[in-house]
Amino acid sequence: MFRSASCLFLLLSVSTLSVDAQSFPFNEKKAPENLEDIGAIQNALTSALGKARDATVCIDIGDGSGSGVIISADGLVLTAAHVSTGVGKDVTVIMEDGRKLKAETLGLVADVDAAMVKITDKGPFPFVPIDKEGTSKLGDWVFSLGHSGGFDKERGSVVRLGRLVRIANSTIQTDCALIGGDSGGPLFDMSGKVIGIHSRVGEQLQVNMHVPLKEFVSNWDGMLRSEFIGEGPFAQKPEKGSGLLGVATEARSAGGLKVLKVGRETPAEKAGIKEGDVLLKLNGTALAKREQLQELIKEMAAGDKVEIEGLRGDKPQNFKLKLGERN
Amino acid sequence: MNAIKYLPLAALLLPSVSHGFQSLESAYRRTGPAVTSVFDGQRQVLQQSSAVMLNGRKEIAYGVVISPDGYILTKASEIAGTANLSVRVDTQSYPDAKVVTVDDGWDVALVKVDASGLTPVEYAPSSAIPQGSWVIANGATSLKARRALVGIVSAKIRPIPAGGGNLGIAFKDDAEEVLEIADVAEDGAAAKAGLKKGDLIVAINGTAVLEFDEISEVLKDLKPGTVVQVTYQRKETDTTVEVTLDPGPVTRNDMMSGAYSDRRSGFPRVMQHDIIGDKSIVGGPLLGLDGRCVGMNIARANRAESFAIPVEDLKALAERLMK
Repeated sequence: MFRSASCLFLLLSVSTLSVDAQSFPFNEKKAPENLEDIGAIQNALTSALGKARDATVCIDIGDGSGSGVIISADGLVLTAAHVSTGVGKDVTVIMEDGRKLKAETLGLVADVDAAMVKITDKGPFPFVPIDKEGTSKLGDWVFSLGHSGGFDKERGSVVRLGRLVRIANSTIQTDCALIGGDSGGPLFDMSGKVIGIHSRVGEQLQVNMHVPLKEFVSNWDGMLRSEFIGEGPFAQKPEKGSGLLGVATEARSAGGLKVLKVGRETPAEKAGIKEGDVLLKLNGTALAKREQLQELIKEMAAGDKVEIEGLRGDKPQNFKLKLGERN
Repeated sequence: MNAIKYLPLAALLLPSVSHGFQSLESAYRRTGPAVTSVFDGQRQVLQQSSAVMLNGRKEIAYGVVISPDGYILTKASEIAGTANLSVRVDTQSYPDAKVVTVDDGWDVALVKVDASGLTPVEYAPSSAIPQGSWVIANGATSLKARRALVGIVSAKIRPIPAGGGNLGIAFKDDAEEVLEIADVAEDGAAAKAGLKKGDLIVAINGTAVLEFDEISEVLKDLKPGTVVQVTYQRKETDTTVEVTLDPGPVTRNDMMSGAYSDRRSGFPRVMQHDIIGDKSIVGGPLLGLDGRCVGMNIARANRAESFAIPVEDLKALAERLMK
């Protein structure tokens, strides 16, 4: 009986493409009325779950992890700002099957807890559609996925079912129980479209809050351009002067700065700068004095991009790197 | 790898909502009566076959009725040390319930009451129902009626390795090569043994420790309840005390989980579901939509995760304990 109900939905959505997934009959009722409604909810969920789970990822930021969801074949990931914590950071994305991928944080919106991450390894990746139009309404059945408490290959990501119980300005609330590690993970409507991103919880077990997708849509281009949008509380802008390059230099009579020492595991070392190299220009500014380099770095922050033109012996040598964090 | 914590809540609860909000009445939420009332068939199974375990008049757990003549399975650690164990099945009370035997591996006790004509659960053929399938468990009870709580199967069936015991100590982060106590958990293992803020931990079970990882390494194989010798330095004097390990460690995720089961790890195999209940849902049957028993609730692990013994394992265990 339940099986046939599911077939009916599938046929409907194929033959009338304009019919939105939100027209599930169980979403039109205040509560399920019979086992048929219950079965239809279960069928919708089990049908949508496979694809949804393939696109749900764990984001390892080094000293912690959160979740996210892939929304394009080339690896654009939506997550929470308090997971990505900043712009231009190197992070690791872990797929459901345990595959680890290189990724970089793009922009974020610090006052609503929205962020983007881009997988930099080559795709294509499994992805899910997003509900750009924001068609979900109060009382709709929804499900959440996330790597609760961190990645666990034997367990997989954890699915929870609930209803959309509160819609406020920049927050939606469901009764899908969330916990640490779920942060940044996707909230889906019953057709498997992303409608929100997990953000925070209340003290009561039933209070679980998500960032609605409209907050992503209205800041989409800025986030793609890796902008840090808004002020806290979910992410703090790196302060000026927090950047670290990792070289000791002295002025060279023929111009530029000679590298005397490269710090271990610093951005300079990782970018390939070696003792004896000469640094001529930093982001286009010619370098003549040691203090001048220090002043330039002092005006920048951790994560800022730096391009250095230099010499190794007589050969021009260019370096691209991101400033690290000064301890 | 640590899971990212949610930000402190009080400061973040819905900052400056200026356009008002819409809210769903609680009756229509997932745990609300308007939703759970559809599961009345399953509720009636719970009425007949989910036992209420009582210490005097206090409900301490549920149980699975497995025979007409009064054999019941329940969570052993929840009823351990109960002086006045009694059982209610449907509306009938059975005083003088006896613990026949306990399986420590699964944390399951076989209990016997003097009864006849009980309705045992009907075992489902398999616990391998798809993730996303409805499951039903016993919620609140009154003398007369059970309430159903509903959720879904939410992760893969797997073993849960035993978690290590916990000292109940927070160490100073910045201290190098010294394990200085930044704080002790109130009524925690270390506090009970007299350890205080500022003490330096120098050895555990006679092994010198210099880093937090070394302590973790010693503790990870020691179950809660194990007694360890902790040597600490206070005012340049070394003292050794016995510390009985707490369950734990208590993580940030535990802090937001409400009441969870004392024993929630060290199970050979569990299925996982998302029924939102307090820890007293443990011990009772987990039903599928058809009302058959797919498992037995064995632990409320945290806010988002509940564990059940899969029906195949439960059946085998029941047969073994009944021998």
